[in-house]
Amino acid sequence: MRLKRKGAKLLALTLGLSLIAAACGDDDNDAEGSDSGSETTEAPSGSAGGELIDLGTFVGDPPEHVDPALNSTLDAYQVINAMYDGLTDIDASDPENPEIVPHVAESFESNEDASVWTFTIKEGQAFEGGEEILPSTFQRSWERAAELQGDYSYLMTFIEGGAEKLDGTADTISGVEADDEAMTLTVTLSAPYSNFPAVAGFQLFMPVPQEAVDAGDQWENEVMFGNGPYKMETARTDEEIVLVKSESWTGDYNGETWDDRLEKITFRTSADPDTAYNAMEAGEGDTANIPPGRVQEAQDNYATTLDVAILGSYHFVINDRNPMIGGEENLKLRQAISAAIDREEINEAVYEGTRTTSTGITPEGIPGWAADLCEYCAYDAEQAQTLFDEWKAEGGSQSGPIPIQFNAGAGHEDVVAIIVEDLAAIGIEAEATPMDSETYFSQLAEGACVICRAGWFADYPTYDNFMFDLFHSSSLDGNNYGFVNEEFDALVDEAKQTTDPDEQAQLFQDAEKILLNEATMAIPINWYNGDYVYNPETVANFPQTNFGLILWEQVTLAG
Amino acid sequence: MPSYIIRRLLLLIPTIFFAISFLFLLFFVLPGDPAGLLAGGAERNPDPIRIAQINERYGLDDPLPVQFVDYWKRTITWDLGESFLNRQSVNEILGQKAINSLRLGIWAIIIEVIVGIAVGLLSALRRYSISDRLTTVFTAGASAIPVFVLGFILQYVFAVLPNKNDWPSWIQLKTSRLGPDTWTLFFIPTGDQWRYLILPAVTLACVSTALAARMTRGSMLEVLRADYMRTAKAKGLREREVVLRHGLRNAMLPVITLIGIDFGTVIGAAVLTENVFSWPGLGSEIADAVGQRDLPVLLGLTLAVVVVYALVNLLVDL
Repeated sequence: MRLKRKGAKLLALTLGLSLIAAACGDDDNDAEGSDSGSETTEAPSGSAGGELIDLGTFVGDPPEHVDPALNSTLDAYQVINAMYDGLTDIDASDPENPEIVPHVAESFESNEDASVWTFTIKEGQAFEGGEEILPSTFQRSWERAAELQGDYSYLMTFIEGGAEKLDGTADTISGVEADDEAMTLTVTLSAPYSNFPAVAGFQLFMPVPQEAVDAGDQWENEVMFGNGPYKMETARTDEEIVLVKSESWTGDYNGETWDDRLEKITFRTSADPDTAYNAMEAGEGDTANIPPGRVQEAQDNYATTLDVAILGSYHFVINDRNPMIGGEENLKLRQAISAAIDREEINEAVYEGTRTTSTGITPEGIPGWAADLCEYCAYDAEQAQTLFDEWKAEGGSQSGPIPIQFNAGAGHEDVVAIIVEDLAAIGIEAEATPMDSETYFSQLAEGACVICRAGWFADYPTYDNFMFDLFHSSSLDGNNYGFVNEEFDALVDEAKQTTDPDEQAQLFQDAEKILLNEATMAIPINWYNGDYVYNPETVANFPQTNFGLILWEQVTLAG
Repeated sequence: MPSYIIRRLLLLIPTIFFAISFLFLLFFVLPGDPAGLLAGGAERNPDPIRIAQINERYGLDDPLPVQFVDYWKRTITWDLGESFLNRQSVNEILGQKAINSLRLGIWAIIIEVIVGIAVGLLSALRRYSISDRLTTVFTAGASAIPVFVLGFILQYVFAVLPNKNDWPSWIQLKTSRLGPDTWTLFFIPTGDQWRYLILPAVTLACVSTALAARMTRGSMLEVLRADYMRTAKAKGLREREVVLRHGLRNAMLPVITLIGIDFGTVIGAAVLTENVFSWPGLGSEIADAVGQRDLPVLLGLTLAVVVVYALVNLLVDL
């Protein structure tokens, strides 16, 4: 999942302004607990109910979609997640070890090879309007999701008959069987997949009421409701989305109904991150997004979610088909580039130390993760120099500077500048190549990529959400960067079908090692951290999970 | 006079036609294809099947002339189409955003007229006095300060500081957004609305007010030297009457033209101000539409701005 936010076009200015702000703010601010964390486990006592005004979720443009079948951004998933509950949920209370637990389903089980999954749906659950949630509700919702063709609709191909439904040659998804008598939903997959329960809880697969089916793609413009803790009070506008408590909610995966939860959540869109932050400072809202360059100021004066490690990777991918850098003959050059980058410096200089320097693509917290998979990710100028010299000795020569591409205006300029400098230090010529941010990804798809920036947030806690979705040759993204490695594909395919967690972890790690070491087709830079700031004088508890999601039902105001 | 108005109104038709046709064509020169973006291309690599479906649905694969004729056929019946992005009707978007832009624009112009002309006039009458020199410095500064710097400073001083220091609530303004949206007589804010309106209106008016003041001053100085002014004084008219009836009236001609042009600008091109203050107006909507290659929205809103601009200029010329 990608984040959709406007970047740091005003960076230089804000740096200046924040000095003024910091200077003015020092003497008159008595905010307590500057660094008070937001672990999901701690729950400071807050007052019941109340209204929270959020300025931190929609910064830049208003959300394009808020329908679970259409949305593909983390921002709008915040709203969707507050309004809908899926078959399964992620229990992230132990951030090291997120667990998939049944939610609307009472239980789930698979056959031996994980190719057929049976979900037993809890009795007596209903949508806000009173419509009962049955196994056929899911069948109907999934067919609707396939028909609407949202960005995530490719996930339907995991199910037998999903591909046919997507391209319009079938009316139903043949692999889905709903038995409303027995309350079971039986899903036959197109290939065995041991992590399917994680995918089944994702937004695309959430149940929607009959009204949503009738309204089609206009449902998101109506007064939406679902089966979650909140429902819309009014239809959304570009300026705000207002959610109110849904009294009929039957609780989270533990059955806990969080009766003290907020009465009302107002998500307001701000065109500019600094304005949103100023508005929070002026008491017009309770939360904001930390603007670039104001991290220290936010930490000093307010509470933040900076200490929450988000399961997301910031990295660069390499086009294997590009003669400058791709292919077996340029392997050592790629390894040299990866080893020459000072990731610590990037983190300090650009992100004020708020991120975690990465040692692989897959972040810590994804089941099966292991540290230090990458042999060329620690800053080692000597190793890089040696590799580069070897490459030259074997006949390699640069035909010109290697373009390092990124979407302009989104804050990547400084990262690339440091990389170019690091490479120059060992004699590799490279140049920063900003590209029009609106069309960045479609241009890369057409083959423009040489070394290009990418970022990815986990949709659900599975290793394949990184390895398959980003790098497997049958996923679109993998294909477009020209990385086709049979050994890698075979390992990922096998891992997806493996049911034993340890064995599966080993297979995924082996695959990632090929990606990072034997082939070096991706250059990890860092893993994301939370970037919400909230006013501790008005908000008592503001838990953000390591999927980036705010647990809205657990948010409380200060008494 | 009536025939002049009719002639000018008729002239509007080719003006609008060429402006929009030019934009339409320009759109196809821009890199990045809308179908790819609609298929999620800005976020990930789009699925070719979806691109084909979208091309089909919006007629994007028709030959350019066919698309062009289709577009004009719809536009003449005042059907501006629907957004590529979220299928909202462009007529509806226009309705919402244009009103907000108009209200903000009206207040910016009111500030420009009152402050600009008054300051310019005083400056001209007390030429070389300290206040004249101060005016020169301030107008130079005001027209040079970037909108977002001014915006953020105003937000900080009038909204953040009062809140942090618990200053009395009547002094406290709001940093941003539209507010309660309560108005009488279309443009007069009621209730708390003024707290939201004041900062963006001042920011938007800043540059044009400075220009209006400079121009009033210059124009007035010229007029003060004119023969008819001496004649008026010689006739024994009082100073006040000479300056206001004979002087200011003549000096206002270029200033009014400037204000007419400004009106078009504050309605359609207030992108930065609207962005800094999250004011939901036309300018930022147009800017977003360009970025997202949302052709119907872009063309529909631009059409409205061109019409308003042309009409205001006609008014000014009368």
